[in-house]
Amino acid sequence: MKYLAKFSLAAAFSLASMTASAADIKVGSVAGVTGPIAELVAPILAGRNLAAEHVNAQGGLLQGDTMKMVVADSACDPKAGVDAGGKVVNIEQVVAIVGASCSGATNGMVQSVTIPAGVVSVSDSATAPSITDLKDNDLVYRVAPSDSYQGRALASHVLASGIKKVAVTYATDDYNAGLAEVFAREFKNMGGTVTANQAHEPKKASYRGELATLAKGGPEALALFAYYGSSGITIIRNSIENGLFGKFYAADGMFDKSVIEQIGADVLRGNIDISQSSSDYDDVSYKLFAAAISAKGVNPKAPYAAHGYDATFLMALAIEKAGSADRGKIAAALRSVSKGPGEVIRPGEWAKAKKLISEGKDVNYEGATGIVDFDENGDVSGIYGINTIGADGNWQTKLLK
Amino acid sequence: MEQFYGYFLYLISLATMGGIYAILTLGLNIQWGFTGLFNVGIAGFFAIGAYVSAILTTAPSIRHLGGYQMPYAVSFIAAMLVSACIAWAVGKVCLRLRTDYLAIATIGIAEIFRLILKNETWATNGPRGVSMIPKPFETLPEPWNQLCFLALVILTVFVIYLALEVAHKSPWGRVMTAIRENEIAAKAAGKNVERFRMQGFIFGCMLMALAGAYTAHYLKFIDPNATEPLTTTFLVWVMLIVGGSANNRGAVLGAFAMWTVWSASEILASRLPDELAIRTAYIRIFLIGFVLQIFLQKYPKGFLSETRPHPRAARTPGYSEPE
Repeated sequence: MKYLAKFSLAAAFSLASMTASAADIKVGSVAGVTGPIAELVAPILAGRNLAAEHVNAQGGLLQGDTMKMVVADSACDPKAGVDAGGKVVNIEQVVAIVGASCSGATNGMVQSVTIPAGVVSVSDSATAPSITDLKDNDLVYRVAPSDSYQGRALASHVLASGIKKVAVTYATDDYNAGLAEVFAREFKNMGGTVTANQAHEPKKASYRGELATLAKGGPEALALFAYYGSSGITIIRNSIENGLFGKFYAADGMFDKSVIEQIGADVLRGNIDISQSSSDYDDVSYKLFAAAISAKGVNPKAPYAAHGYDATFLMALAIEKAGSADRGKIAAALRSVSKGPGEVIRPGEWAKAKKLISEGKDVNYEGATGIVDFDENGDVSGIYGINTIGADGNWQTKLLK
Repeated sequence: MEQFYGYFLYLISLATMGGIYAILTLGLNIQWGFTGLFNVGIAGFFAIGAYVSAILTTAPSIRHLGGYQMPYAVSFIAAMLVSACIAWAVGKVCLRLRTDYLAIATIGIAEIFRLILKNETWATNGPRGVSMIPKPFETLPEPWNQLCFLALVILTVFVIYLALEVAHKSPWGRVMTAIRENEIAAKAAGKNVERFRMQGFIFGCMLMALAGAYTAHYLKFIDPNATEPLTTTFLVWVMLIVGGSANNRGAVLGAFAMWTVWSASEILASRLPDELAIRTAYIRIFLIGFVLQIFLQKYPKGFLSETRPHPRAARTPGYSEPE
C-alpha cells in the first residue's frame, strides 16, 4: 500500500508539472492503437501527424502556436473510446478531437463524452450509418463516407445513364438492406420510379418466383443489393435465363471476379454497373498528399491514412478560422472551412490558408480523399467508382463525378 | 481552474467505471471467492445484461429490435432475470464439472452468447451495435448528470456490498465456504451441494448482467467489441485476485485500484513521443499481466485477505469467539 501511495503521489506531481506549455494547442488524436484494427492505425496516425507537421512547419496555429496531437487509445471498443475521450477532454483539455477509429468507439465516445462536453470531433474511419442519426449539436463530423452514401451515389448514376424505372431487390442483411433503403428513397427523390421493392433470403437455389414478381410494372433494370456468392450471381443468372431483366445495377457486395467468370463477360458487357467506394488517384490534392506521405515511408493507399490527414488538416483550419483555441468557436468554424465559397486549399498548403484567413477571406479545403464538404449531418459524400466490364473481360473502374 | 475542473470530471468517470467493475468483481466473488466456481465466462453474462437493458429502453429504430422504452428499473431487473434464467440453464449442464473443466465450459458458453448477439442482426444490429441508449440523469446539466450517475453506481455497489457481507456471515455463506473448502465434507454434513453451487452461480451472473446494463447506459452504446473478454472477463479476474478473493472489501478495492491503473497509466504514456506512446499502449496490457504475476507469486491473498465468517457469539451463551 505504501508503494501505491508513493506511485500515485509521483503520478500526481508529474501530471501537475507536465501540463501544457503556453504555446501548445492540443488536439486529441484518438485511435484504436491496440485491438482488432491495430495494424491499420499506424498509417492513419502517420497521416494525422503529417498534417500537424505541415501546420507547424508553415507558421503554426494562430500566433505561431504548436499544434500538438495527444494520442489516446480507443482500442476499437466503446468502453475504451469513452475512457480515452474523457482523458483527452478532461485531463489534457484538448480543444478538439480527431477520431475515434471504429464506428463503435466513436459512437460511445461522442455520445458519452464529447457531445456533453461541447467538444467537436472528426472521425477518419467511422462508417456506420447510425452516426448520422445522432443528436450531436453539430459536434460530430467524419471524413469517412457513411456506408449508406453509396446508395445515393448509385441512384444518381442510374438516372444519369438514362434509366427512369427500376425494380429493387436486396438480401436480408444489415448492410444490403440499409443500402437498398437509401437507394430507393434517393432514386424517388431524384425523379425516378421504383416499380417494386422486395427483399430476398440469401442462399436459395432459385429466385425465379421473386424475379417474376419484380419484373411486373415495366422496370428497365434491376437494382441488386446482395453479396455475389450468397444470392447475387444466382439472381443475375435466373434473370437472364428467363428473359426477365437484362440490365443490372449493383453495389460493392457484387464486386468480384467470380461474377464475370460464372455469368460470362460477353453476356454482361454493357449490362452491369457496380458501384464501389474509391479514391481519385489522379486528383491533384491526392497527389500532393501521396508525395508527402510517401517521403515518410508510408503507403499513401493504406486504408484511411488520407482520411487521417484530411481530418487533422480540417481541424487545424477550423482552429485558425475560429481565431482562438475556444472549443465552441472551433466547432462553429469547422463546416465553413470544408466547403465553398472560398479559395481552394489543398494538402500541405497551410501557409497559404493561414494568410487568407488572416486577411479575413474564406477558404475551402479539398483534401486527399475528395472535396470533403460536410453536409448538415457532418458527413461527407465520398468518392465512388462505377465498375463495368472492359474489352479484356475484367472489371474497369471509372470514377463518378 | 478549468484544469482542476477537468481532473474532477475525469475522477467522476474513473469512479463510475471503477464502480461498474466493482459490481462485476462482487459477482465473481460470490462465484469464486465464496463458492469456488471457476467462471471464465463473465463476458457472456455481461453482454446479455447490456443488450437486454439496451433493447428494452431504446427508442424505436430501423436497425435493431427496440422501441419498448421501458423505465430503467424495469430494464435493470429484466437484465438480471434473463441472465438468471440463462445461468440456471448453463448451471444445469456445467456446474457438475470440476474447477478447470467448468472454466473451459464457461469460456465456451460466453463466446457462444457473444456470437449469437453478434450475428442476430435483426435484434442487435450485429457488429454495428445498439446506439442512442438513454442514460439515467442525462438531462441534468454538467456535471450533475455525471455525478448522479456515479451516485447510482456507488449506491448499487454499497447495497450489494452490504448484502454480501450479511450473506457471507449467514449460515448460507458458511455453507458456501464449506463447499469451497471441502465439498465431500459439506455433503457429509447433509448439505445439498448442487443447489448451493447453483445459487452462487445464479446470483453472481445476475450481478454481472447488472454491470453490463449499467455499462450500456453509461456508454450510451453497446456493440460486440464492448464485451471483449480481455476487458470484461480477464481484467475482472485480475481485479478480484489483486483485491483479495473471498473478501468483499477486497473485491471492491481491487476493482477501483486496477481500473485506475488501467485507465490512468495512459495519461502518463500519452506524454511520451508519438512512437513510444503507441508502444506503451501495449505495455499497459502487459502491465496488467505483470501485476497479476506479482500478486499470484508474492501476495496470493491480494490486498485484503479473506476473513472467515463465524457465528455471532451473543446467540449462544458460554460460547467464546475463536481467535
